[in-house]
Amino acid sequence: MEAQTKNNIKLGFLVLAGLLLLILTLYGVGKNQHLFGSNFRLKARFTNISGLMKGNNIRFSGIQVGTVKQIEILNDTTIEVTMLIDEKVKPFMHRNAIASIGTEGLMGNKIINIIPSSSPAPAVEEDVMLATQKNVNTDEMLQTLSRTNKNIADVSEDLKNAAHRITNSAALWSLLNDSGLSLNVRTSLAHINQAAANTQTFTRDIREIIAQTKEGRGSIGQLLRDTGFYRDLDRATTTIDQAGQGARDLVSHLDDLVLQLKEDVANGKGTANALLRDSLIVMKLNASLDNIQKGTDGFNQNMEALKHNFLFRGYFRRLEKQKKKQTVNTVTR
Amino acid sequence: METATQHITTKSDPAEQTPVIFIEHVCKRFGDNVVLNDFGMTVEKGENVVVLGRSGVGKSVLIKCIVGLLKADSGNIVVLDKDITSLDHDEMDKMRARVGFLFQSNALYDSMTVRKNLEFPLRRHWIESSRDEIDAMVLEALENVGLAHTIDMMPEELSGGMKKRVALARTLILKPEIILYDEPTTGLDPVTGKEISMLIVELQAKYRTSSIIISHDMHCVKLTASKIVLLMDGKNYCSGTYEALSRSTDPAVKQFFE
Amino acid sequence: MTGDLSRFTGRFFAYGIKPRYELAEFLRQCYMIGNRSLPLVGLTGFIMGLVLTMQLRPSLVDYGVESQLPAMVGIAIVREIGPVITALIFAGKIGSSIGAELGSMKVTEQIDAMEVSGTNPFKYLVVTRVMAATLMLPVLVVLSDGISLLGAFLGVNIRSVTSFTLFFRQVIDNLAFGDVFPAFIKTFLFGFAVGIIGCHKGYYSSKGTEGVGRAANSAVVLSSIVIFIIDLIVVQVTDLIGIN
Repeated sequence: MEAQTKNNIKLGFLVLAGLLLLILTLYGVGKNQHLFGSNFRLKARFTNISGLMKGNNIRFSGIQVGTVKQIEILNDTTIEVTMLIDEKVKPFMHRNAIASIGTEGLMGNKIINIIPSSSPAPAVEEDVMLATQKNVNTDEMLQTLSRTNKNIADVSEDLKNAAHRITNSAALWSLLNDSGLSLNVRTSLAHINQAAANTQTFTRDIREIIAQTKEGRGSIGQLLRDTGFYRDLDRATTTIDQAGQGARDLVSHLDDLVLQLKEDVANGKGTANALLRDSLIVMKLNASLDNIQKGTDGFNQNMEALKHNFLFRGYFRRLEKQKKKQTVNTVTR
Repeated sequence: METATQHITTKSDPAEQTPVIFIEHVCKRFGDNVVLNDFGMTVEKGENVVVLGRSGVGKSVLIKCIVGLLKADSGNIVVLDKDITSLDHDEMDKMRARVGFLFQSNALYDSMTVRKNLEFPLRRHWIESSRDEIDAMVLEALENVGLAHTIDMMPEELSGGMKKRVALARTLILKPEIILYDEPTTGLDPVTGKEISMLIVELQAKYRTSSIIISHDMHCVKLTASKIVLLMDGKNYCSGTYEALSRSTDPAVKQFFE
Repeated sequence: MTGDLSRFTGRFFAYGIKPRYELAEFLRQCYMIGNRSLPLVGLTGFIMGLVLTMQLRPSLVDYGVESQLPAMVGIAIVREIGPVITALIFAGKIGSSIGAELGSMKVTEQIDAMEVSGTNPFKYLVVTRVMAATLMLPVLVVLSDGISLLGAFLGVNIRSVTSFTLFFRQVIDNLAFGDVFPAFIKTFLFGFAVGIIGCHKGYYSSKGTEGVGRAANSAVVLSSIVIFIIDLIVVQVTDLIGIN
């Protein structure tokens, strides 16, 4: 009996140790998933949750504060995510904080990042709906890149046409004996040429990037997360559009001018008339050229920005090396 | 021969006329091997019946059928006025408390001390007793076999003869009315075998039990038998006292007594 | 054989729920099965954790995610390696001992002796052992997981330095209920399988010492295979019902 009692006590210790360890683990895991302790709920609506799952982590300015409690499809474009957040961070979280879906680490789980806004707002309450930031996904990104590329190609075409027509218009050159104007036009043309060259390179680059991304060589995750690059790209596209518009304006003005001149020559009208027209045209022409210059400036800046973007840095560097070999001059400012 | 006389006197008790074990038409087969074939025998109160037979003829099967360890395919086995073929589990357990069984291999529980081994049937049959009473019963049973000093030993520490005695003590601790001995002297040297045989007779006299002894050890048979049943080809070939059978001219019987 | 085993299992449940529980014997078996296995299970667990960590490190270093080592080892140990390795060790130790013990009890008629002593040997021997194995293996697995993680902690500290708190924080943080629960549930099944197979092999072992040896041997072989089959089924089922 003695030995048996002793053994039973030892058995008790063993089982107790096991139970304790199990409970500690479960408590640790549960605490981590915010099943115990006081929490409050926040909601956010997304159009695409990119594979977010129940139990995924919530970070507030990078601090682990909760988990995803529930995911509910409200309609075809709205998904409501309920988040369970640690009560302790309640006073620090404001109503204008922005929730966005991100990725934990390089290839980790999806997380919700809650980023505070700088402007003042009252603290959050239970069941408050947070604003969300649309997350960039790869497909959309590739679509945008494709569209941008097409735009750029168009602009490039326009610019080429304009330059071509201006250069080949003998009448124009003879007319433009005003040295200032002549210089202006020449500089503009140089700009346009540069822009056209840049655009062509850019177009090719982007086509390659898209191809690589589609092949999966580029890191989709990184492209996805780099919203800075995305914004740059957007801005570049707009500027290129502007430049293209400017070029088109210039071309139409030049067309007008050439037509007018031809008409003047044909009708034998006086130079006063021509001069009058000239000054007006010169003004318009100047404005157009300014526009073009601004456009190409912006465009070149964007190209520059793109080159310094860490993602493409390696790529451009490689490109530059190739270009040096081919002694093709890429324009940098 | 003393013992035989003793038993005859016991048997003549007028109140106990019905046999304690009554077996008839029992058949038992394992697959194609027919072990018992229309076997029948009786054991009267206070009788020591030896079932004699060659190895493997089904002597052990017979007594296992009596305690319900094996089920007979057909036939009647009436033990202490109860037909064991129709008993349910609880009734069978109650019946088993009145029937002791000494196993050929002793069947002492290896993991328990001698004391635990002896207590086991007591506790198992829900004999409500205090600690002291149980201790007294265990000690008495061990004293009966002369092994009181082994009480806290493990079975593995005991010699073959001691194990047999302890097993016997365990069988006797419930004061059974019937004891079934399965080859009690097999595997023991002749001297120890004789001691065990004497012990069986002694205890038999003390507790006035009836018994069936399975054996082919003629020394043991001679010492213990008040009646001998010769089991052959699954049948009760013949039966009688030791003297009667030893004088038999039947070669099948004679071979055992040579 | 499958039929025999399932009949045996059916009998286990039939007898197991009927009252007159062999509590003392059950506790004795728990002690024999649980406490007596702890040193072995603990030692193998510790070495497993240590070796696993050392083996995983180079791959993680290649990917530059060495910091994920505790998380990775933790999940591997808790989900799979802890339960399965412990169960296999358990099958080797307990399955064989149950098989041999019951086998020799059968051969020396101790099982018959119990029966005539008014004890249901199935309840006394089989139900208690199977219950003890079923309930003690999970305890052993939990403890062995803990010890394995200590081994892993040591493994991490061989090449780099991490604090005890940070290590376990990282392990726990990367565990979800979906990792812990199925792993825990399957240990009961493993324990049950080892117990019931060991008992079955022993209880029906053939006469003679060779039969006892064979009972012990086939108990270990069969229960090891069954452990893997159960593991496979549990993975499939938990996957189907969405716990993973």
